[in-house]
This record gives sequence, structure tokens and C-alpha cells, in this order.
Amino acid sequence: MIEDLTFIAQISIKSSVAVLLATVGGIITERGGVLNLGIEGMMLIGALAGFAAGHFTQSPILAVAAGTAAGGLLSLVHAFFTIALRANQVLSGLALTILGTGLANFFGRPLIGQTGVRIRQLPVPGLSDIPVIGEIFFNQSPYAYAAYLLVPLAWVILFRTRAGLVLRAVGEDARSADAAGVDVAFTRTASVFVGGLFAGLAGTYLSLSYTPGWKETMTGGQGWIAIAMIIFCTWNPLLAFFGALLFGGLTALQFFFQATAMDLVPSYILKMLPYLLTIGVLVLVSASSQHRKSAAPADLGVPFHREQ
Amino acid sequence: MIRLEKRAQPLRFKGVVAASWALAITAVLGCLIFAGLGVDPLTAYAAMGKGVFSSFDAFSEVLVKATPLIFTGLAVATAAVMMLWNIGAEGQLVWGGIGAAGAALFLFPGLPAWLLVPLALAASALGGMAWALIAAVLKARLRVNEILTTLLLNYVAIIYMEHLFYGPWRDPAGFGFPGTAQVPEAAQLLRFASTRISIGFPLALLCAVFLYYLLNKSIWGYQVRVIGKEPRAAHYAGFNVTGKILTVMALSGAFAGIAGMVEVCGIHYRLQTGLAAGYGYDGIIVAWLAGLNPLVVPFTAMLLGALFVGGEQLQSVLGLPSTISLILEGTLLFGLFAGQTLAGYTLTISGRSGEAR
Amino acid sequence: MAEPVISLRRLSKRFGQVWANRDVDLDLSPGRVHALLGENGAGKSTLMSILAGRYAADSGSVLMHGKAVSFNSPAQALDHGIGMVYQRFMLIESMSVFENLALSAGKTSGARNLARGIERIASQYGIAVDPDRSVFELSMGERQRVEILKLLMLDAEVLIFDEPTSVLTPPEVESLFAVIERLRGEGKTIVLITHKLEEVLKLADDISIMRRGRIVVSEPIGARRMSRQQLARLMVGRDVVLRVDKKNVPVGETVLALQGFSGDSPLGGPAFADVSLEIRKGEIFSIIGVAGNGQAGLVSAIAGLTRARSGTLTFGGTAYSAREWVGARTGKIAYVPEDRHHTGSIGAMSIAENFGLTRLDSYRSGVAGMLLDRARMTADGTRAIGAHDIKTQSSGDRAGSLSGGNLQKVILARELTRDAQLFIAEQPTQGLDIAATEHIWNALLKCRERAAVLLVTGDLKEVLSLSDRIGVIFNGRILEIIDACDSDQVNRVGLLMAGVVS
Repeated sequence: MIEDLTFIAQISIKSSVAVLLATVGGIITERGGVLNLGIEGMMLIGALAGFAAGHFTQSPILAVAAGTAAGGLLSLVHAFFTIALRANQVLSGLALTILGTGLANFFGRPLIGQTGVRIRQLPVPGLSDIPVIGEIFFNQSPYAYAAYLLVPLAWVILFRTRAGLVLRAVGEDARSADAAGVDVAFTRTASVFVGGLFAGLAGTYLSLSYTPGWKETMTGGQGWIAIAMIIFCTWNPLLAFFGALLFGGLTALQFFFQATAMDLVPSYILKMLPYLLTIGVLVLVSASSQHRKSAAPADLGVPFHREQ
Repeated sequence: MIRLEKRAQPLRFKGVVAASWALAITAVLGCLIFAGLGVDPLTAYAAMGKGVFSSFDAFSEVLVKATPLIFTGLAVATAAVMMLWNIGAEGQLVWGGIGAAGAALFLFPGLPAWLLVPLALAASALGGMAWALIAAVLKARLRVNEILTTLLLNYVAIIYMEHLFYGPWRDPAGFGFPGTAQVPEAAQLLRFASTRISIGFPLALLCAVFLYYLLNKSIWGYQVRVIGKEPRAAHYAGFNVTGKILTVMALSGAFAGIAGMVEVCGIHYRLQTGLAAGYGYDGIIVAWLAGLNPLVVPFTAMLLGALFVGGEQLQSVLGLPSTISLILEGTLLFGLFAGQTLAGYTLTISGRSGEAR
Repeated sequence: MAEPVISLRRLSKRFGQVWANRDVDLDLSPGRVHALLGENGAGKSTLMSILAGRYAADSGSVLMHGKAVSFNSPAQALDHGIGMVYQRFMLIESMSVFENLALSAGKTSGARNLARGIERIASQYGIAVDPDRSVFELSMGERQRVEILKLLMLDAEVLIFDEPTSVLTPPEVESLFAVIERLRGEGKTIVLITHKLEEVLKLADDISIMRRGRIVVSEPIGARRMSRQQLARLMVGRDVVLRVDKKNVPVGETVLALQGFSGDSPLGGPAFADVSLEIRKGEIFSIIGVAGNGQAGLVSAIAGLTRARSGTLTFGGTAYSAREWVGARTGKIAYVPEDRHHTGSIGAMSIAENFGLTRLDSYRSGVAGMLLDRARMTADGTRAIGAHDIKTQSSGDRAGSLSGGNLQKVILARELTRDAQLFIAEQPTQGLDIAATEHIWNALLKCRERAAVLLVTGDLKEVLSLSDRIGVIFNGRILEIIDACDSDQVNRVGLLMAGVVS
């Protein structure tokens, strides 16, 4: 019984890493006031670029770097159109997903079925021997360890540094930030770029570690789940850990039931649960913010323009 | 310093200018991609063009592809006129397919075509409508943003559909091929000549005209347009916005649902994988390229259809992945943004800087 | 007197077709308070926004210590020591005072230096502030102090205050005046944008009056020993003779009566309290006040668009509580709102289509009245164009392409055809030229023959030309209701608007 639970917990974390990384990146972007619905596209292109780089160079480091950079580069397209041209952020993000999906599938066609670099699980010496806890938390891939560090780091940067202050100011009230001398356009572009890097990194996790290889539907909607997670964890990176874990837990349960052929819950309902749960979460958040102010950055989605 | 200033006088035919820029930019990007792949751009475009215009059969495929795109484009446009984002046309299409298949296979299988087809049509519209209303109610009552709810419901719809045709609705004589049995002949839409064009296409055109008249000639349509353009004026005039959210999304879902019926009864003749081919998302591009004008939607749908058919031609003739169409599709929308900016604003570059103290 | 620190020379600024500032010359000297006086829309805020780097001038120059400077952003202006305290505070509400100050302080100071700096400046200028509180918890006076502190921490030498007392309570006003006097003592250059005469007389060393984008007077305040009446007349301008046909109309029954009507403003602005008045058929009842004294909230509540908090409203004989009125909103009230472009009309639609906005029921046709009777809308639109001399090609033209005056005529025409018992006109001639103004005034007078008219405005001329009775609103209350025939009382209106209850 304990073994089963430990196993489920371990898989939960494993299955949550991609969503977690993408969510943290998305939080940074949205904290700056920009809505980027293109996370799915950026993840996919990160997955492909990482896999392709790994396939051709056989270097895990180059692979991760390539995928991460690809996500960042794609995000700059969104940044340009929404910040410089003040285009509608929803449409731009959607177009970005279509573009990213198209690019990834196009350049990935010859790579289907190929082998690339694989980043395996890396047990942490010493810590991974701790009963139960060690197996769950310290017998993971380097990505998980990176996530353990990046999540609190993101929180610290967001709430304890000047950079974070500037970012949050721009997302709350771009007009006042501008009056205080902040370069709103640059700050927002940077936040979009960082979000893109995270999404690209999350993508490389999928193609290099989680399910190594390249498949056209690699991300399976995790980018969209991440977008909902951003709302669920009220734009707080620390809460993102738990939100992503929820998603990971459901995924793990799916695997577990399939593996043990337990028919407690029909498999299709299990598959639906992550999405239904996310909707439920959105409903809860909306219902509760009816009475108090929403936790969203006040200027989210609003293009900035000085001469009002 | 570069400054964007709104034009004092908006350009005439702003929409056309913007769309032209969209096409131009996309064409240029296509050239770059082809060149980057070592393929002569002109050869590539010629191959695409040939795929579309070489014969009537070839062109008919454009119309076949355009049919569901017109429906989903109308679906997205209907919602967008009131500033609602229906990203769920994909799932609503799926539910339309489920409704049509269910009606044809299980509810009314023995009926003659003149009864069965309208019933399947109605069932598909209802299916799409119901699915869209979930998100609509959440938005109207709880102010839950419809972008995410409609989108997440897409995945739920697809999972359920797969459950149906892998499970309870599986074709008993299907050798494990994932899909339902073929719908009865009475439900199979007649095809025009040797093409795959069914009554779906003229029906789509009819719906476009219907939506145009609904939006522009009815009281309902007037209120929807006002709410979308100037919500404060709508509040001032006392319009029932909550009610409109529900009716607009219901109609939107119905259009998408009908797309599902046309695919199931007109193309595949069964509910199977491949029903969810992304038409719901493409509908977003179709609608916005058309400037949300229902009468223009069929044209942008055909443009996108031509892009897809051309892409397939590229694959068979030049060996390039057909997904280049997706790239160009995404670029079309970005090109539209660029075009809209160029049409609506002037770019001024000034070189002034303050002196330091 | 010291050499001017700042000189503006022939500064001009245009927004679309309208000149907000035209050929403005102005000098500002250190150690003095310069009052910039004028009506709403005179161009004062725009002018100072240019100086503060928020807007760019279209022509003219800004000289600082004799050298020409130009600013591309507020940050650049701040680098030169020029800062502005805006009417709408530029503070991030969800953050603390300290965080807001840290934001504008830039990377130069660390947290501890910042804290020390705040303390130092706060005590030097007598500005008390708690750095750890969040801005949304602060009162308006406290927020303003943070804004001032912000500027001082950046070594601002020129401080511009835009209508600083419009959001303050009387004791907070006193505190502010004390701070301003301290600043003046320290040699700072102060600009005070205001419409309140009391403040000018109390604080100002120099005074400039703006009207319609131009400076009409600019001199030290002692130069002519001006009285309040003279100042008021200079602000408002020479009496322009507009021809109005004010017939004698018999006054009928009471159409609208308010009793103890209180509520908030729709956008969280100043509230209105304890309003009691009656408006009768056959009269124009004006509510006059400077913008921001609660009239927007009052009108919105009377028109039934927002819910008042308490009191009763009696319409056409039936009494409603404040809560009931929103739901009972009848079609018998016509309302020309202040916001022409986004509330009163739909810019993207044609004139004919705009006619349907508040008259939809009269355009129902076809089966079950579901169709839009476009023919009738077009006909009505065309008729309105002729009847009101609207300068446009046809009723198919986009409403957004019309000039302010013509757009207002469209809205007016629409509301006039509603045959309402109560006709509300809110700031109806704001920003319009003489011809359009005259036309609208005559239309309102004609309307008065059949209905009760509520006119809400800040334009003294308008009130004096049209009203039968005048209610002056200040700080959310109706100070007095004056009969327009009583010329002695009427002379007090200008002072009442400035809060001077003599």
C-alpha cells in the first residue's frame, strides 16, 4: 500500500514538472500585465528544438539550451505584436500557438520515431535513500530539481527584488509605473521573453526526459492547463507547485489504474478529470472573487499607451 | 524614438488594406521558408497553385475543406461580434458529430433521408449548442472567462467522443478500427458529381447569409452589435447583456455543431478519429481575417482551404510536410495585425532627446 | 523677483481637431506659487502635462534656466527636476508606500538608504507618512502626501499641483497649504492648477488665467488687486451674446422629486448626499457645479443607471425607494449623457443606427417585432439631419466621423423624439462651438414647453441663459436652489460653485 502511494506520489511529481515550469513562466509574464495564450505553441517548439538539437549533437546541455531558446524566440513574436503594435493579446497568443504548432510539426516531421538524447532520472546521493520522502522527491530528473529551485527563486525575485517590484508595478498600473520612470515596453517584453524561456524549457522536459522522442501531440494541452493554473494559484509561484501537483496527481492516477487494470473509475473519466478539475478551479476562483478584488494584476491584458 | 499615432482620418477600406498586407507578408514569409529549405519559392507556390486550380476535382477539394471552416468561422464570428471568445468550436463540432451520429445510428436509423437528414442536423446543432452553453452560463452567471472554459471543454469533448467510438458505439464489424459503424445510407449526404462536395457547402453559404441578416436586420442582432462595440452604451440603453451572452453562445455552438454533422454525414460517414482536425481553431483565423463579416467568411474559409489543399500538394509533389499550411495560417493572422497597424496608424520617427542636467 | 526658472514660449498642442493649447507664453519663478486658473477644458492640465513630460507639444519651446529643453517622458522631466502631482494619483494601489517610493527612486538607493531618505525629507517638509501601509488604505490626503514625497525624493525643484484640493477634506486642505508654504519657503517653484478662487487668493503669488487654450492674463497677484468677482469673470470670459428664445411657459405638475437622495459615483468618485429637489413640467432646472462635485453620480442615479444608497425618488406621482428605482427605470426619461462617444452613441455605427439605441421599441417590425425597421431608422435619421442642421452627407454616415457638435445633435434629436416627461441633459455643450451650443440651447428651451428638463452643467453662461431654477452642487450637496429671476441671488452662483457660502 505504502509502495503504491509512494509510486503514485513519485509519478505525480514527474508528471507535474512541465506544467509547473510553464506556469511559473506564465506567472512572470502575466505579472507584467501581458496575457500570453501561446504557451502551448512555445512548449511544443521547445520540445522539438530540444529534441532536434539533442538528436544532432547528442549533447544534453545543447539540447536543453536550444529548446529553451526556441521558446524564448517564439515569444518575442507575441511581444512585438502586443507591445509594439498593441495588437489584441488574446488573438496574438492564439495565433502564436497555431504558428508554434505548425513550425514544430513541420520541422519535426523527419524526426518522428528517431532517437535523441535522453535525460534520465538522477537520484540525489544520500537524500534519495530516505524512506518514502527520498524516493518521491529525490529520485527525479534534473528538471524536477531545477523546478524545486526555480519556484522559490521566482518567488524571491518577484517579491523581494527591485526587478520584481518593477515587474509587478507594470502589471498593476502601467500608467503609474510609467510616470515613475519605468520603461514599460522593455519590462513587458522581458517578462514575455522569460515566460517563453520557461515554456521552452518545459517543452524540452517532455521530449528529452518525460516521454523521450518526438510526437506531434507531445504537449497534450498542458500549455492550456498551465494558463489555467496561473489563475488558480493566484499568480503566486509557490502555489504553482501545488497546482501543478494536482494535475500531476491526476495523471499519475490515470497511469496507475491503467497499469493495475483497476476499474474503479472508467478510464475516459480519468482522462477528462484534469480538464474538468481545471474548469472547476476557474469557477471557484471567479465565484470567490465576486466579493473581493480579484488577485489578477490589474492591468493584465490592457495594452499600454501614454497619451490617453 | 518611434511613435505610433492614430490616423486622424481612418483609411477607407481599412479592412481590405489590412487583409492585403496579411497576404503579402505571408507570401513573403513563405518564400523565406521555402528558400531556407532549399526549395525554389516559385516552384513551391506553383505546386500549391496547381494543387488548387489544376482541375475541377482539385478545386472541389478546396470547397470540401472550406465547408466546415465556414461553419466554425461563423461560430467564432457570432461570438466575437459581441466580444465573446469562442475557442471551443472544436469541441462543439465534436458534439455536433456525436449528436448527428447518435441520431442517425441509434435514435432514428430507419427513417428515410428527407426526415433523417434534418433530424441529424437538428441533433448536431443541439449538441454544439448545449456544449457552448456550459461556458456561456459560467460566463453569464459567474463571470468565468470563456476563453479557458471553452478551450478546456474541447479536450473533454474529444475524450468523450473517443470513449464512444472505442467503446459503447464501436462498430461491431469494424475489426477494431476506432470508429462507429457507418451511418445509414439515408443519413449519408449526397455528393455532387465525382467530388466530395455535399449539401454541406450550400448549407454553409446559407448560414453565412442567415447570420448576416440576423446581425444586421434583426433587433437581436442590433443589440448584440451594440453590446460588442460600446458596452457602456448598451448599459445606458438598458439591454439585457446576460441573456445575450446565452443566446449568442448558443447560436455559435449550433453553427459549430452543424460543422460536425457535415463531416460525419458528408465526409467520413461515421464518427471516427480525425473528426477533430483543428477546424475549430482554424475558424478563429477564418473569422478574424474576414473582419467578422459573415458574408466574407466563406471567402476566407476558401482561402484557408486552398492553403490546406496546396499544402497537401506540396507534400505529395515536393515531399515537404503539409504542416507548412499551419505555419502560413499563423502568419496570416500576424500579418493581419501588421496590416491593421499600418492601416490605422502612422509611424513617426523623431530624434529628440532631453539634455542631461 | 528672481529670474524665471521655466519659460514656455508659444507652446501649442492639438488633440485631433481641437487645439488644447494655443501659443502659450508663461514664466515660472522660484520661491513663488503660480496659480493657473481656468474653467474645465481651458487647457491647464494639458499645458502642465507637457512641462512634466507626459505629453509632447506640437510646436513652441520650453526653456529652463534660459536653455531649451524637451522631454520625451515623465522620467526625463523628473531628471530635470520637474514633477507633477496629478489629479488621478499615479500610485500603485495594491503596493505599500515604501514600494511606490522605491519604484520611482530607481536603482540608485538601497532599501535602507531609501528609508532614511524618506524620513529625512518627511521631517524637512512636515509631511507625515507611514511607509508600510498599502496605498489603497490611505485617505486621499495621505496619498497626495506620498505623491509630494515622491517628487521631493527625486530632488524636484518645480512642483506642479493639478487641482490638488478637489479630493481633500477641509482639514486636509489646511495641511496641504502648510506643506506648500514650506515648499515655497525652501525656494521651490510651485504651480497650482485650480478653479477655486479661495485658494488662489490665499496662496498665490502669481496668477495666470487660461481660456480655451490661451493665456488671457498673466501677472503677479498684487498687480491689480483683483476681487473674487473680477477673477470669476475673467475665468468665464466676456459675455458672448447668444440668441435664445426663452418664452414664458406655464409651470405644470412635478415630474421628478428627490428626497434625501444619497449615493456613490459609478466610478468610485465623489458621492452625493442628501439631495432634495423638485423638477416640474415647463421648467429647466439646472444643477451647476465644477466637475467632480458629485453631479455625475447624482445624474447616473436619477437616470436609473446606478443604484443610489438611500432616499426616495418620486416620478410622475409614484414614489420609489433608492433601491427600487433602478429596476423601475421607465422609458419616460430621456437622457443625453456627458460621454457622447462611448455612452450616448456608437461611433462605429451609422447615424440611422444610432437612432435605435434608446428607441428600439419604435423600430420593431416584421414577425413578432423581431426585425429592425431600418427604413424608418434611416428616415428618422434623415429627418433629424435636416431639422437640426447636422453637417453630414446622409444618415448612413458613421457617427464616429461627426464632429462633437454634430454628434451631440444626433443624440439630442434621438432623445427629443422619445416624448419623455423628464429630459436630462448632462454637460450638453461641453467642448462645442458657438453655433452648436446655440442650437442645443434652443432645443432644450423648446423641450421645456412639453416636459421637465434637468440640465447638469459646469458652464455658468449656460445656466444663466437657460434656467428657471438653479441648484448649485458642491462637495456632493446642493448648497442652495436659486430662482433665476432673482438677479441678486444669481450673482452668488459663481461663488457658490467655488464653495463660498457668504
